[in-house]
Amino acid sequence: MFFNKNKKTNRLKVGEEGHLSDLQLNQKAVVLALHNDNPALRRRLLDMGITKGVVLQIKKIAPMGDPVDIELRGYELCLRREDMRQIDIKVLEDENSISRQSK
Amino acid sequence: MKIALAGNQNSGKTTLFNLLTGSNQKIGNWPGVTLEQKRGIIIGTDYELIDLPGIYSLSPYTAEEEVSRRFLLEEKPDLIINIVDSTSIERSLYLTTQLLELDIDVIIALNMTDILKKKGLVIDVERLEKELSTSIVAISALKKTGIKELIALIKSKEYRKNYHQLIFGPNLEKAIARVSPYLKGNHKRFIAVKLLERDPLFESPQIPSFEVLISELEKEFGTDIEEAVANQRYEYIVGIIKKAVIVHDVGVNSSEKLDKVFLNKWLALPIFVVIMFLVYYLAVGVIGSFTVDLVDGLFAALSDWTRSSLAKFNTSEWLISLIVDGIIAGVGAVLNFVPQLIILFFLIAILETTGYMSRIAFFLDRVFKRLGLSGKSLIPFIVGSGCSVPGVMATRTIEGDKERRMSIILTPFIPCSAKLPIMALFASYFFPNHSGLVSAFLYFLAIIVILISALIMKFFFKGNSGAYISELPNYKLPNFGYVFRDVKDRAISFIKRAGTIILLSSVTIWFLLSFSWRFEYGVPVDDSILASIGNLFSWVFYPMLGELSWGATVSAIQGLVAKEQVVSSMAIIAGFAGDVSEGTMIFSPSGPFSFFTSSNAFAFVVFNLFSAPCIATIGAMRQELRSTKQMMFAIIFQTGFAWVLGVAVYWIGNLIGVLL
Repeated sequence: MFFNKNKKTNRLKVGEEGHLSDLQLNQKAVVLALHNDNPALRRRLLDMGITKGVVLQIKKIAPMGDPVDIELRGYELCLRREDMRQIDIKVLEDENSISRQSK
Repeated sequence: MKIALAGNQNSGKTTLFNLLTGSNQKIGNWPGVTLEQKRGIIIGTDYELIDLPGIYSLSPYTAEEEVSRRFLLEEKPDLIINIVDSTSIERSLYLTTQLLELDIDVIIALNMTDILKKKGLVIDVERLEKELSTSIVAISALKKTGIKELIALIKSKEYRKNYHQLIFGPNLEKAIARVSPYLKGNHKRFIAVKLLERDPLFESPQIPSFEVLISELEKEFGTDIEEAVANQRYEYIVGIIKKAVIVHDVGVNSSEKLDKVFLNKWLALPIFVVIMFLVYYLAVGVIGSFTVDLVDGLFAALSDWTRSSLAKFNTSEWLISLIVDGIIAGVGAVLNFVPQLIILFFLIAILETTGYMSRIAFFLDRVFKRLGLSGKSLIPFIVGSGCSVPGVMATRTIEGDKERRMSIILTPFIPCSAKLPIMALFASYFFPNHSGLVSAFLYFLAIIVILISALIMKFFFKGNSGAYISELPNYKLPNFGYVFRDVKDRAISFIKRAGTIILLSSVTIWFLLSFSWRFEYGVPVDDSILASIGNLFSWVFYPMLGELSWGATVSAIQGLVAKEQVVSSMAIIAGFAGDVSEGTMIFSPSGPFSFFTSSNAFAFVVFNLFSAPCIATIGAMRQELRSTKQMMFAIIFQTGFAWVLGVAVYWIGNLIGVLL
């Protein structure tokens, strides 16, 4: 596995839990909790609608891999992966695997 | 009556403000906080409208939120117009729930209703109004619909009064009811919520067993109250939206298709470079220089005509000289560049309104983060290519203190519109066939200077870096009404400067140039007061000019007054009124600037571009840094860097000259 750098092997499966930063393109997840390491950041995330129970999906990833564009509450929000580590999620759907199955 | 206009960023607030106030606007400062604000009078009324910064919440975590909150709490507006983007209504109403906690009536201007259908949304406005219990007017600021209805509703005063709906769960509402009676003054509900959230800006009240109340609530919610309040606000909004909004699936929208190209892994950077190159190439190059020649001819004619007509009336020679060699030469040298600036302002305004700027910030954040900056630093940089003052102010949206301070100091490195005359003057004379290329190159050099400076400054600045939290708005077609207005405002302010600060400086320069220390008029320029001042400092520029030139020295120093003054000053010193920007007269073989070659010309331009900015920008930097010490650091850093770079350019240029 040393030479296998394919990121898709690390892709969280539907039903698995992790940090929002682990979520990959087109995956949909529900927010379980927000950490409290950085209160100001947490306040901001809450204000922007990242609250417990909200469903979000990764829509775009910047050309250099970071930041990430997330769709939630009917709009799109850009966050850095390091800040997304503050958010616990559970994967709900994976559009990539759905499209693969349908093929 | 005093009305505040509040809403999220990208909600169309500026467009609505312009529609409501027409041309009755003025920009001033808030009392207490020195922050630019826009005020205007609503058309057909005598109501004052105040434009608050675009905010997402009334939490005090960015400079803009703090200002908006203080304004609403302390300035007591009679009414709030809350502009809500109907296409992202869920997030937008979050701010609304906070505004409705104040003791101020709120009218919601539900904007962008013209594109709801395209987005697959249907909003039952009446139902929404009933649920929120506040008046709503559906508008489209872009299509100008609903504006009359909005003004009529404000005038009639028949909008719903704010009676504070109880939107939270019973436990939280009970706690609010317990805290409120202990509070004095207005906005009891808002303050009660903030106290429960342990907002640091409100003093802890004398309420019996307040801590017990909070810890009991926290135990019940399983989180702190801050999170519980946010959760319940959004739960309330989701509940309302279920009743009043229907969502149809419309598939992939056009913004997503465009992003497949503009945010493509391989294409994003090349597209960005091409767009920025075109902006500056068009403004300074092809079209630009053509228009400058046109205006230049007009000023030459004006100057000749003035000289001959004044002579007819036996006007004394010194007065003719003051008017022609001082005022027309100095002011004209700057006004020559108005057409170029209009093109530059036009292109920047288009970039600003299309939503592409947010994309640039998004895809360059990774690079900027490495340099200790934020992707959002790019917005002040691009705004700064118009004028550094609003550029420095645009740093307010940057979350981290360290990134913000660094961006403030780096923004003046971007060549602003006042530096454009300097570039254009030298480029068109010394590189006549490549002036557009040279100018575009100077902009890219500015980017490189910023990158290197950021790496150096990273070691000087301590402090936490912030997060990057930004909305990615949909692409919009440029709103030409807004673009024209913006271009007009900026062009007028440039012309006004030419008529005031440049005029005054030109007269001063003429005076210092015409008189000696013994106040004799008409001495040779080398014996003038200005020459002796310049001679004191000319050694500073020797390493990059290869010449002790008092004229270039005093001109560069005048860049502190206003950067375009460098060109004015050189024009006056060269002593000719006509045909200034062409460079032929300023650099004429018998004149004081005949020593310029392409290498020291390039070096001199580089020094003027990157050295300490004008006084207005230094003031803005002082205000935004909130530290005179850091401002001094910035000026010394910028000037030192510019000097080293200028000297380097001179010697590299000489070396290339020898090798070729």
